[in-house]
Amino acid sequence: MSSFVELDVRPILRAGGEPFGEIMGAIARLAPGQGLKLLATFKPVPLFSVLGAKGFGHEERELGGGDWEVIFQPTGQAAAPAPATAPANASDWPDPAQHMDNRDLDPPEPMVRILAATEALKRGDVLSALLCRDPIFLLPELAKRGHAWRGAFEPDGKTYKILVRIGAAREAAA
Amino acid sequence: MIGASLSRWTMSYFAAALVALVAAEIMMVAGYGFPAASIGAPETLILVHVVAIGWLSLLMCGALLQFLPVLVAKPLYSDALALPALVALVAGLAALILGFLQLGGRIAPGVPFLAIAAILLIAGFALIVWNLARTMAAAKTIPLPARFVLVGLAGLALTAALGATFALTLGGTVTSGPLLTLTVAGLPIHVVAGLGGWLNITAVGVSYRLLAMFMLAPELERRTTSGALYLGAAALGVAVAGGILMVLLEAGPSLALLAGLALGLVALALYGFDAGHLYRARKRPKIELNSRMAAFALASLAASVALVVILLALGRLGDQTGAVVYLVAFGWLSGLGLAQLYKIVAFMTWLECYGPVLGKAPTPRVQDLVTETRAEKWFWLYFVAVWAGAAALLAGFPLAFRFAAALSLAATIGILAQLVRTRRLADVKAAIRLPRGAQPPRLLMTHQP
Repeated sequence: MSSFVELDVRPILRAGGEPFGEIMGAIARLAPGQGLKLLATFKPVPLFSVLGAKGFGHEERELGGGDWEVIFQPTGQAAAPAPATAPANASDWPDPAQHMDNRDLDPPEPMVRILAATEALKRGDVLSALLCRDPIFLLPELAKRGHAWRGAFEPDGKTYKILVRIGAAREAAA
Repeated sequence: MIGASLSRWTMSYFAAALVALVAAEIMMVAGYGFPAASIGAPETLILVHVVAIGWLSLLMCGALLQFLPVLVAKPLYSDALALPALVALVAGLAALILGFLQLGGRIAPGVPFLAIAAILLIAGFALIVWNLARTMAAAKTIPLPARFVLVGLAGLALTAALGATFALTLGGTVTSGPLLTLTVAGLPIHVVAGLGGWLNITAVGVSYRLLAMFMLAPELERRTTSGALYLGAAALGVAVAGGILMVLLEAGPSLALLAGLALGLVALALYGFDAGHLYRARKRPKIELNSRMAAFALASLAASVALVVILLALGRLGDQTGAVVYLVAFGWLSGLGLAQLYKIVAFMTWLECYGPVLGKAPTPRVQDLVTETRAEKWFWLYFVAVWAGAAALLAGFPLAFRFAAALSLAATIGILAQLVRTRRLADVKAAIRLPRGAQPPRLLMTHQP
């Protein structure tokens, strides 16, 4: 078991602050082989690819009350067993260039906005969108337009998160 | 999961269904069948089957071919099977009508129309059930609304099996003793399985999802919801299995039907509770015409339940079956069907025509395909006419019933004209009506890429 430094950014987030500097500072101070255990008030998806690019793998779990614990470990170490993440969070795609929250829109407005956004993005860009149900009629349209997508319900079972990668060949999704 | 596309033949089912509805209403205006004829007369059998198979079953089958894939998030097993099923059902209904005319002595016996009808209708419904069951079998989980559909399909299978037994026996093809007994005493079981099992339970299941979807209410998976499902399934089982058993024991099916009715009323009360919750928990403050009119259909269901309870207490349910069946079939099932058709046709037409160009060109919204203010008055007329018709039947005024039926016919034609306008994109502004790359929809079927 490798050692790790614990960083709790929940007080910063609850005070409305931005903990990114703090986190990158902690990463910079890690000893070789050391990991970072991060406590946050949401699942810090954007960090996964930022730190992934710096050679860190991640393993996250929900603590309840909306809090998350994420362990970042340098890859190449004895890696922890692959976490069971939802396919929408797979991190070999670039950071989303655009985020949408379409959960409170009347159908079919979520689909209209996603398709409009895909037309505006560049090839290879990723669009992330939150929905309140499976986008049944959107998926065939994405496939027809040559976009790849990954989507699944979040652990709460109520929010469906979809990532669309513009112009990428269709890849398997759950 | 690759999502679902538009069902190619659903519009054809809807069109055939609406033709049957108009035909049935014309019969009622003309005084053909009940209440002018007795409730078991061949004329009444023709009228009832044009409504039950021609209108309501084709409507439900067409809707399920499109919406069951949405309920289970899996594509339809086979788009191609939907067309032969439709042809078999329409031809089977035509043969059934001819067979009833033979029973009434209106046309010469000779061609065994009832046997032909039995074969065609069993084949058509079997293709539908197979297609929908294979679609469900591919899903990892079956959400509650789809489980209602599963029970409804069991009701359909039982109804069709009983109906085919009657047709073969009455047509003289089958002469076995127990089947003769079943044919003589089993008619109420057939009616309960069809109206209460197949049409009602399926409508309840589909409406859970449609109401939640169109009003932005949370999907219900509550204990009342599963309670309605299990009690509804139990009601169907008790009424049909118990009823058949009692008929074969020569005891008459009444006790089993009453037990089924009691379970069914509790199930409907739970459903009513859930439906009320969906309206109250909606996130959308101003709801569209289909959801507003679905509330009228739900009110008709509540009125039907109250009527059944009152008639039971007065010991008059037997005399007033016609009025109850009319209110259930036209106020609740047809009212819900017409209300949701108004939205479903607009949505399917919009997706078919504008889906391929969304984001690439300015496109209308779904609501731009309809003019609710124009349609609303026809819906009001429809519900008022149906309620008046049910009152006329209860009070025993056949002429007033025919007048009310004429109003419901006018309202149906008004609604039908709105559906055709939607299909033709007649209400869409010319500037955005057909952007580059969009294909105008055909009236009776859906393009597929």
